[in-house]
Amino acid sequence: MIRYIIRRILYLIPLFFGILIIVFAATRVAGNPVQLMTTQNPHITPEARQHLTEYYGLDKPLYYQFFIFLAELFQGNLGNSYALRGGIAVTTLIGDYAWLTFELQLAALFFSLLIAIPIGIISAKRQYSKLDVTVTTTSILGTCIPIFYMGIIAIIIFAYFLGWFPAGGAHSILPERYPFGSYALDELWHMALPTAVLTFATLAPIVLLVRSSMLEVLRQDYILAARASGLSERSVVYKHALRNALIPVVTYVGLYFGAMLAGAPITEKVFNWPGVGRLFVEATTKLDFPIIMGITIFITIMTLIANLITDIAYGYIDPRIRVE
Amino acid sequence: MKRKSSTEPKLQVQNRKIRSKGVSQWNIAWRRFKKNRAALAGALIIGFVIFLAAFDALIAPFPPNATPGFYVGEARVPPSLKYLFGTDRLGHDVFSQVVYGARSALYVGFGAAAIAMSLAVLVGLISGYYGGLVDNILMRTTEIFLVIPFLLILLVFLKVITAIVPSGVGGLSIVMIMIGVFSWAPNARIIRGEVLRVKESEFIEASKALGASKRRIIFKHVFPNVLHIIIVLTTLMIATAILVEAAVSFLGFGDTAAITWGQQLQLANEAVKEAWWEGVFPGLFITLLVLGFSLLGNGLRDALDPRLRE
Repeated sequence: MIRYIIRRILYLIPLFFGILIIVFAATRVAGNPVQLMTTQNPHITPEARQHLTEYYGLDKPLYYQFFIFLAELFQGNLGNSYALRGGIAVTTLIGDYAWLTFELQLAALFFSLLIAIPIGIISAKRQYSKLDVTVTTTSILGTCIPIFYMGIIAIIIFAYFLGWFPAGGAHSILPERYPFGSYALDELWHMALPTAVLTFATLAPIVLLVRSSMLEVLRQDYILAARASGLSERSVVYKHALRNALIPVVTYVGLYFGAMLAGAPITEKVFNWPGVGRLFVEATTKLDFPIIMGITIFITIMTLIANLITDIAYGYIDPRIRVE
Repeated sequence: MKRKSSTEPKLQVQNRKIRSKGVSQWNIAWRRFKKNRAALAGALIIGFVIFLAAFDALIAPFPPNATPGFYVGEARVPPSLKYLFGTDRLGHDVFSQVVYGARSALYVGFGAAAIAMSLAVLVGLISGYYGGLVDNILMRTTEIFLVIPFLLILLVFLKVITAIVPSGVGGLSIVMIMIGVFSWAPNARIIRGEVLRVKESEFIEASKALGASKRRIIFKHVFPNVLHIIIVLTTLMIATAILVEAAVSFLGFGDTAAITWGQQLQLANEAVKEAWWEGVFPGLFITLLVLGFSLLGNGLRDALDPRLRE
């Protein structure tokens, strides 16, 4: 098992470098960032431009810039922002915003797994029943609604017409509006709507996956054997079938989590949630490349860690994987 | 599998004339497809949107980007007979704008899917058939594109490229190309897997024994046998591309000169409290079209998969 884990970690290193190169290329494909950032500014002099270029080390050759960037990265330094809060360090900035993003995405992932797995199982057990048809139809619809549209609808209904939840943000502006005067409860109250929307969006594909995986397993011979030997239906489904049916689900959870983190800008824009996603959109609009690279790398690392955990869990559930 | 069954009727045709036509792969698929009501509904939805896009100028009561409500104090009015879906802040007729948005959605959907699938088919076929070092290099590249935070990179590329391209130069095409270039990876992996499966078949071995070249085997024998997967993946890819374009426009990184549903949602998002109709209708059309392609894709998968044949 340890050899398997080490192999998985070694395997992620070239992946990480490949992504770094693409991210770096994305920020340099249009040439000098200073040139780009200052095209809108009519007052800038060529000297000022030159000065800025030298200040950020952008006059050096590209490969040199890339190695400097790598060297700094491994010391945990992602550079300073070009535009925000007087050139604040990117790591500090990400530190300020990351938790809010995680909180939302992890809560949604947790709830969607909690709901999706039982629903998928029940739906598979009663294939073609009314319940199954309802579940599958709702899930397919769920994968087709853009998450921001779902968010807008939820805001219109629950925030404006019913007034149950706030429409956006992570906190009330005035402390007097905190429920029972509690800061934490206020955050939870603000979190409810985005979490619900994100949960529904994540839930739909997982339900379909659990259902189809369960159906496939239930058709196998060893399930027939288990039934023939007189085991209760409960034991057949939850003990014998479930363990194998969850294998594809486990592999997808890592990928889903990566996709969810990368999709953070969308949810965070709809609900005006102050996380890294919203920060990323703001930085990209201003072409603030250190922040752009910082957040992309941060999310990539998180995705890779999620994949690693998935791989380990996969190896744990399915012993065949460990010995390739 | 397919070859075996198709040789027998052919021999019969040569010996004695049979009036009824032989049943081809596609006949069987069509017969199965016809029975699938969900898939037919999907095709109907797509047909409806294509109709909207084709005759948009006839269907929409106002010209593109017209602001009929602006000077007459009818900006941001709720749906009525005059403005079926209401008007927005600048007095645009939401219904007209939704109709004009159909063309953009289809353009990006089909275009991005064409690019993504061409890349995916190329990578999948080569990687799956040649194996070895080529496969290794291509698959590692594919994995990079699988793990990369897709939306983030897409936004950066769009922002940077629109900054250097003079404004008004094919903005929507840039969006389309970028979506295509960044979404081939998952499809390439599936196609590769399918190629690996087909490669082991006896008929491939037979043509190898007959001395067929690698290129001939790939394009004449392997490709037709993975075509059904490619068709299904293309349909689903169109749905994904439409969703991604909507998301990108919603975040404000799309082509501001084009009329797209995502863009309308972005504007609506600023005023959901005052004018729900601004966002509800364009979003409904995105959902509808994506649903259409998903249903069609799932239906095609059931109809075309030879393993599901009774």
